[in-house]
Amino acid sequence: MTGPSRPSAGAGLALTLRLAARDLRGGLRGFYVFVLCIALGVMAIAGVGSVAASLTDGIAREGRVILGGDVAFSLIPREATAAERAFLESHGRLSVAATFRAMARAEDSRTALVEIKAVDGAYPPYGKVVLDPDQPLAAVLEERNGAFGAAADPALLARLDLKPGADIKVGQATIEIRAALTSEPDKIAGGIGFGPRLLISEDALRATGLLQPGSLVRWHYRLQLPGSAATEANVSSVVAAAATQFPDAGWDIRTRTNASPSLEQDVDRFTQYLTLVGLTALLVGGVGVANAVKDHLDRKRNLIATLKSVGATGSQVFAIYLVQVIGLAGIGALPGLAIGAALPFGIAWGLGAVLPLPIAPALHPGVLALALLYGVLTAVAFALWPLGRAHDVPVSTLFRDEVANDARWPRRSYVVATVLVAGALATLAVALAHDPRTAAIFVAAAGAVLVALRLIAALLMQIARRLPHARSTVLRIAIANLYRPGALTTSVVLSLGLGLALLVTVIEIDGNLRAQFMAALPERAPAFFFLDIPAAEAGRFDDAIRRHAPAAALERVPMLRGRIVAANGIAAEALKPAASAAWVLQSDRGITYSNEVPAGSRVVEGQWWKPDDQGPPLVSFEKRVAEGLGLKLGDTVTVNVLGRVLTARIANLRALDWQSLGINFVMVFSPGSFRDAPHTDIATLTYPGGSTSAEEIALLKAVADDFPSVTAVRVRDALDAVGHVVTNLVLGLRGATALTLVAALLVLGGALASGHQNRLHDAVVLKVLGASRGRLLRAYVLEYLLVGGATAVFGIAAGSAAAALVLTHVMNLSFGWLPGPAFGAAAGAVVATVLLGLVGTFAALGQKPAPVLRNL
Amino acid sequence: MHDISGLRPSGAVIALTGINLSLGRGAARVHILKDIDLHIGIGEAVGLVGPSGSGKSTLLMIMAGLERPDTGAVRVAGEDLGALGEDALARFRGRNVGIVFQSFHLIPTMTALENVAIPLELAGAQDAAARAADELAAVGLADRRGHYPAELSGGEQQRVALARARAPNPAILIADEPTGNLDETTGSEIIDLLFASQAGRGTTLVLVTHDPILAARCDRVVRMRSGRIDGETSRAPQGASVP
Repeated sequence: MTGPSRPSAGAGLALTLRLAARDLRGGLRGFYVFVLCIALGVMAIAGVGSVAASLTDGIAREGRVILGGDVAFSLIPREATAAERAFLESHGRLSVAATFRAMARAEDSRTALVEIKAVDGAYPPYGKVVLDPDQPLAAVLEERNGAFGAAADPALLARLDLKPGADIKVGQATIEIRAALTSEPDKIAGGIGFGPRLLISEDALRATGLLQPGSLVRWHYRLQLPGSAATEANVSSVVAAAATQFPDAGWDIRTRTNASPSLEQDVDRFTQYLTLVGLTALLVGGVGVANAVKDHLDRKRNLIATLKSVGATGSQVFAIYLVQVIGLAGIGALPGLAIGAALPFGIAWGLGAVLPLPIAPALHPGVLALALLYGVLTAVAFALWPLGRAHDVPVSTLFRDEVANDARWPRRSYVVATVLVAGALATLAVALAHDPRTAAIFVAAAGAVLVALRLIAALLMQIARRLPHARSTVLRIAIANLYRPGALTTSVVLSLGLGLALLVTVIEIDGNLRAQFMAALPERAPAFFFLDIPAAEAGRFDDAIRRHAPAAALERVPMLRGRIVAANGIAAEALKPAASAAWVLQSDRGITYSNEVPAGSRVVEGQWWKPDDQGPPLVSFEKRVAEGLGLKLGDTVTVNVLGRVLTARIANLRALDWQSLGINFVMVFSPGSFRDAPHTDIATLTYPGGSTSAEEIALLKAVADDFPSVTAVRVRDALDAVGHVVTNLVLGLRGATALTLVAALLVLGGALASGHQNRLHDAVVLKVLGASRGRLLRAYVLEYLLVGGATAVFGIAAGSAAAALVLTHVMNLSFGWLPGPAFGAAAGAVVATVLLGLVGTFAALGQKPAPVLRNL
Repeated sequence: MHDISGLRPSGAVIALTGINLSLGRGAARVHILKDIDLHIGIGEAVGLVGPSGSGKSTLLMIMAGLERPDTGAVRVAGEDLGALGEDALARFRGRNVGIVFQSFHLIPTMTALENVAIPLELAGAQDAAARAADELAAVGLADRRGHYPAELSGGEQQRVALARARAPNPAILIADEPTGNLDETTGSEIIDLLFASQAGRGTTLVLVTHDPILAARCDRVVRMRSGRIDGETSRAPQGASVP
């Protein structure tokens, strides 16, 4: 032959693209499931990422408003000293607010726990307080005729049946409700509140008489830097100066760029979980990709052989179909990216008014690029195996009929490439995760589930192959269909198994969360928490409780607030805690001291100290938190309590039962450490055998009357508040899971449809040989039941195990298996398999033999 | 003319020596080709005949480098095919061997012109489209170049397949029952084109057929039975060497 030589790399690529495009002229038949699966997965990841980025942007953009200043210093429970206050005032305009929990009593003696915010005249430094009816805040809060004013959350008005103009008592002060508080600009920085907000003036707060030594009041000093000085550099220099001049102030300092780290972390954490669920949707879709690519290449077997007969190399064939896979992944990703990118705009438009978080909808090219990368990598990872097999399609297939050997492995280079791409996908998921450990567990679990499903399919086929010859024709056909060449077993087990495992995981987590937060309380759970019991009135409080609730058990311990400033001499900022323990360093924590091991915990390492130990300060640490902080027996921890810095040695580690809802502290100090420090007490009250609502409300009223400064938190109400949050979280999780289920059903439908041609052939031949339609139908139903049933058993086992792992290791909760929902999901999956399978089979059963036989 | 500079002037363009091939595994293993020695000269037309299952098509595949023998040497157009890897074999086929199948095996998503151009494109020819158009014109389908296979009759499809096989100007044309799916008249036209190509370009033609009329037009007819060469008949030897 003359002239031509091997094409250059550029020309080779152009040729590959040209041939790939020509091959797709027949349309996307057989690729709809592929495209839809990638679209769904990419949409989930792009949507979650875009919304999260828009929320993070919103929080950052509104940082000043959320924080209420350029820099905020908060102290608990003390106020700033004159020197500290002078320092702050020298740097800009200062606004002071105090927040704490207290009891509000209506004139009819009904009480409610309220989250009080007491503000000065400069509030709010940024943003706007919205009141109903609209009026100046100063006018609402001012003292008139001996009563201070307040704006109250509509929830409080509803709970105590109040209207503007009504009086309530907080501590010793009479407060007149003058407006409903529609919104406050800095609300979200406070986190979850256990009661409705009551906005009063600082003077009103002082009039309540609740400011006792040790009262759990948080003082916020918000600094508004002068316009020209409000640069990042100045913000940083103020923070640095505060740290230098008042090293032992013990204040928590936040800046406008770091207004609510816990909120941002919550957004990050939830984003991660939803992203992982989105990735599961992609993985399920990946099975659809693999099925679609395999079917496509099976259909193209002769074409591939023809290409090779005219000079195409195996590598060229691989490249042509790889280009198609990448192109199709792109086609699928585009609508997914578009919908994902539009999601924050849709949320801002539709839900902006009711969303509790600021959202700044924007296009986030990085997020979209990442979702696209996930989509393409998933498609390639799942397609490489069948593509690798295409390399070796023999030209001899054009001369004689050959059955494709599905069991054959592709060449080593394709196996290595599959491992590398899957590794890249896993690395990406772990490296970009907020909590890499959880992401790594997810990746490992997903990989293990895929491998296990593949093994189960192989095992099922082996068992079917080795079963003795059944006497029933129907059973024999059904069993033979499980292992014959081109059997649906592997693709159905993979498609259904992953989706079902995830569904069972979510259902079990959902059910456990509901059982633990929203259903019956633990038997030994207290009915009340009492906060801010003045140490001086502790004895009288005990007597009163014994009088009003003689059968109930009261547990009272001292309570101080302190923050960890160093461990083993290393500043807290320089510590690198595990994600599960980082919360301990984020702000101040409740601490106590005790002679004895507190109820609900037990010493698991080291020794408890002697009663009334007056030696150097010792501390008992919760074991898991200590491990998360990298601390062990003998290490030292430095805490700042009320401006006093104290270093204690870890004497022992305790295991806690957090779910007992008893009084649990991460740190318990030896009695000599804080005995003289001003503090209040905290108490729990437990009714053996439970309590009625009437008993609880009567006690609530009695305590409010006798001890106006004591805050009573009804555990039932607190759990309702947590339950509300859990409901919202579960709702988000369910949304993402629904996408995965849609993907799983698509893949399952696709896998079953791909077997349609074989079904048609079999049905026609069997009908020619005398099989009735009823008998064929029974055989197919039995086949689908066998595959679906085996997969369901695995789905229940894998899903339950995953849920147990997440609940016990990630959420630190207990796991109780809920068989009902798991079996319900499995039954649903089996029914879906049979129904989807029969959709295609019915057509085959109704097929007239002649037209098919002519084309066989 | 073809570039077969690797051949000795009097040498065979296809030299098969001591070929044995078994297919299948275990009890299903069948000895398909047994001790085959066959040399075919440049420009020779050879017909392989024999009953079904005698090994004709498999021998054709061995010549095209589509199947590797268990034992024996295969030398085609000066290349020892046993020494070539998979990709090198594919490129070798693209340059030196044109194949015509009984079932045409055109690519349904490509037009007639694209089907003919593809071996040229794979070989990196810059003028693939122009040369493909010439080949289509040579088989009488100049006005059908934009048609897809489904829009062509069986005879037209086989003409496109022939044009595709001829397009790279290969040294060897092999055809497996080229008229097996065609009616007599159409088949006869294809045969005329095949032999015209062989004569006009000096191409070596090896075809498998059950059709005695077609076989009779070959220079030599090799009869196969049960995997062995059972005998042969020469009409007009042209540089062929028969062991």
